[in-house]
Amino acid sequence: MLRSCVCLRSESTKRRSSSVEDASSCRSSEIERVGASMQTTTLGPNGQPQPVAAQTTTRASSLLQLFQRKGWCKHFRKPLRGMSASRAEKTIRAAIFIQKWYRQHQARREMQKRCNWQIFQNLEYASEQDQAELYKFFNDLIKNMPQAAATGNKYHQNSRISILEEDGELVEEAGDIVSTRIELPITKNDIDRLIDVFRKKKGNRLHPKYVAMILREGARCLKQMPNIVMVSTAVSQQVTVCGDLHGKLDDLLVVLYKNGLPSTSNPYVFNGDFVDRGKKGLEVLLLLLSLYLAFPNSVFLNRGNHEDSVMNARYGFSREVESKYPRNYKQLLLLIDEVYRWLPLGSVLNSRVLIVHGGFSDSTSLDLIKSIDRGKYVSILRPPVTDGEPLDKTEWQQIFDIMWSDPQSMQGCKPNTLRGAGVWFGPDVTETFLKRHRLNYVIRSHECKPNGHEFMHDNKVITIFSASNYYAMGSNKGAYMRLNNQLMPHFVQYISAASQTKRLSFRQRMGIVESSALKELAVRMRDHRDELELEFQKCDPDGSGHITISKWCCVMESVTKLGLPWRLLRDKLAPGTDSQSVNYVTTLDLLDTDVIMEAEADGTTVMDALYANKSSLVTIFNIIDADNSGEITLDEFETAIDLLVAHMPGVYSKEEMLEKCRMMDLNGDGKVDLNEFLEAFRLSDLHRKQQQEEDMRRRSTHRTIQNPSDSVTKLANAISKNTAVVEQDIDPTDCEADAVDPK
Amino acid sequence: MTAQEIGVQLKNDLEIRIAKVFSVFDVHSDNFIDTRNIGNVLRILGCAPTEKEVHEIMLATESAEEPGETHLSKFIAHITKLLMDEAMKPASSDEILDAFKVLDPENKLYLTKEYFGKLMSEDGEPFNEEEMADMWAVAIDPITDNIPYEFYINQLKHKTDLYDMAYQVKDQIARAEKDRRRPDRMRSRTHFAN
Repeated sequence: MLRSCVCLRSESTKRRSSSVEDASSCRSSEIERVGASMQTTTLGPNGQPQPVAAQTTTRASSLLQLFQRKGWCKHFRKPLRGMSASRAEKTIRAAIFIQKWYRQHQARREMQKRCNWQIFQNLEYASEQDQAELYKFFNDLIKNMPQAAATGNKYHQNSRISILEEDGELVEEAGDIVSTRIELPITKNDIDRLIDVFRKKKGNRLHPKYVAMILREGARCLKQMPNIVMVSTAVSQQVTVCGDLHGKLDDLLVVLYKNGLPSTSNPYVFNGDFVDRGKKGLEVLLLLLSLYLAFPNSVFLNRGNHEDSVMNARYGFSREVESKYPRNYKQLLLLIDEVYRWLPLGSVLNSRVLIVHGGFSDSTSLDLIKSIDRGKYVSILRPPVTDGEPLDKTEWQQIFDIMWSDPQSMQGCKPNTLRGAGVWFGPDVTETFLKRHRLNYVIRSHECKPNGHEFMHDNKVITIFSASNYYAMGSNKGAYMRLNNQLMPHFVQYISAASQTKRLSFRQRMGIVESSALKELAVRMRDHRDELELEFQKCDPDGSGHITISKWCCVMESVTKLGLPWRLLRDKLAPGTDSQSVNYVTTLDLLDTDVIMEAEADGTTVMDALYANKSSLVTIFNIIDADNSGEITLDEFETAIDLLVAHMPGVYSKEEMLEKCRMMDLNGDGKVDLNEFLEAFRLSDLHRKQQQEEDMRRRSTHRTIQNPSDSVTKLANAISKNTAVVEQDIDPTDCEADAVDPK
Repeated sequence: MTAQEIGVQLKNDLEIRIAKVFSVFDVHSDNFIDTRNIGNVLRILGCAPTEKEVHEIMLATESAEEPGETHLSKFIAHITKLLMDEAMKPASSDEILDAFKVLDPENKLYLTKEYFGKLMSEDGEPFNEEEMADMWAVAIDPITDNIPYEFYINQLKHKTDLYDMAYQVKDQIARAEKDRRRPDRMRSRTHFAN
């Protein structure tokens, strides 16, 4: 149990990282009380923990220590009154004995919390790695197709420009559409009405023409902003900065409720990642754009790495738009792309504080970034749209670094292998960067933190993350920061929909987070289900169904490639197992339960995303088709497939793809045009999906023959119950917020 | 997790086990943890230290260069010695039962919430509010509002093979030490024979 809180940190000035790692119930009253009631961990005047008393080991002196700490009177006051000294001594000894035994038990809870957090983070980054592979694939492709690099990527730029000018052909949607009308210019009344519509649980939609209007007008105005926007507190005397929202409209409404709508005296900076993962990404995006249009000098929007159609195809936003506007989503997604490409890349506050989504590298140059034509980067993961100019990889790298990087505690700057893109930058890189650009500190987002914010690099790098309950209900707080005229930060932490967590006991809350973590992990494991079975069986030549714990951990790690504390997860992922060996069949059975299979169907794999992202496939084709003939040779196609398979192995089989392509080449001239190219991918994808369904059918028949054990069923039911989502209208007053004392 | 990956040499199973638990609290994957998490690491490993023992270890393992943080190597070095000396070993169920018996001289086989609560929150190494709340969640019989301690003890049993492992490693080291010395004697003998 980490009985500590942010306020303690204020005593120490030399901490490398003042993260509040206590993800336990940091209730608002605790924050004030903790300083006063710290009973076991004390910080000395120099901020270092101290033992409570001198190091002696005899019992009598330990009693003495206790008296010194708590005062003589208090000790002998109640339960020990009227006892002899030796009896009192025995009692206290027994108490300590019981307390230390009980604390051992309690530590396991802390461990569970940590494990859950690790699971979520690992899964998130592993998925992002897949996406970053696409970037590397494109890089490789361009490298291997030298003519492509020379002549540039010929995209149909014309069609993009017309999107902004004309009214596209929007059609009527089926189902409920609210009668709310929005007209330009957007006013505060419009904002209130939009909030009223958006906060209702699903089913309440704006007419698509108003959605298009807000997107189009938003993009048009954003286009006029510079790459790095200068923000000043000269008039307002203060500014509020928010981090990742990820489709959590409830959190955005909590912030607006607690901190007020934007105005000349109340400006806001929103630091990217407005969409993906949460269910109301479209509403968040539309509300932010509306706030920007209504209060153009008081709202500043920065682009994040999720403001990117390639990411959206994988992380849910594209599907969200499609499900909300099934007849118009293609048009709307094109407009959203326009918003993305024109979002500024960062802000500088009072010429002293940089605000960007990810971070920076040792080669980041703000001057260079200011000079880029940012409109070229429709997606950051695909090569930029160029008009016959050669691709500038340095420039592309610069944008990557500010969108994807993370701070690390160690010195130096190295490629961020966790995410697969950007860098990890150390305190030395920060110092050099700040000095070179004459800045005081940097505010960034991009990483989820238990308390919504974290200091690093001697307080020169502040992470701000505004999506509470990000991984699961009760997983973390969100936060926003207010800066005064001297740019001193002050944080407000909150949890939205607090009543849902408050009515639960600590145990139940833990159960929910844990179930969510297990579910996500199990879905990820399903990707490798057959390989897991094979490897387990290799370790079990007798076919007993049992293997040692070490072997089980080994297989799990090597197959899933996730660096998780498998030994500690063992009794969850192999339920009903004893302490000596693991019944791996239960692990496989767990993966085949309904709750996990349904969750899998809900998600999107990287390949689903690649195919869904037709633009990416078209880009691939255009790169290969260097002479712009509209056709590529089978050889060139083969090279591309080789690279694709190298970057994203195990999904598309090269032979299959080539076979399909040859089938497509109807006139037998050894060439393939764009449609045949896309068709080859589509058929491969179809075949892959058919294979999956076949596998599922095979497994469910196998399952009906051998029922999963009781413990597996029990666990599956618990997961199902704990992760059931109850949708309600958003009530921003239903939050638990507390201000954190400034450093 | 391999030794190369984490950049610290792990010489035996015991060190690997310690490193694995340590890594759960290693937020930035740089082999440092916040010193205040040492109690958690120890307890999850399977030790049952008193708060005082935790403090001693915190002080002994805290990094001089990075105050408030503890590095894995220093932690391993300090802890393996303690484990091989069987420090902080968890009590057996009998010993815990004896402790409860001290608190229940009339042998009622239960303690009242009032008495136990006061003791746990005010004496020994007292629990704070959060710890008390957590304890009540498992300890108390909701109908009688008493703590039937034998039942409670059975609820929270937790076995560990940590000390067995420490013993084995200690044994290995001792034998390796013996082997190291033996060849000298062998050599001198053969020399004689020649």
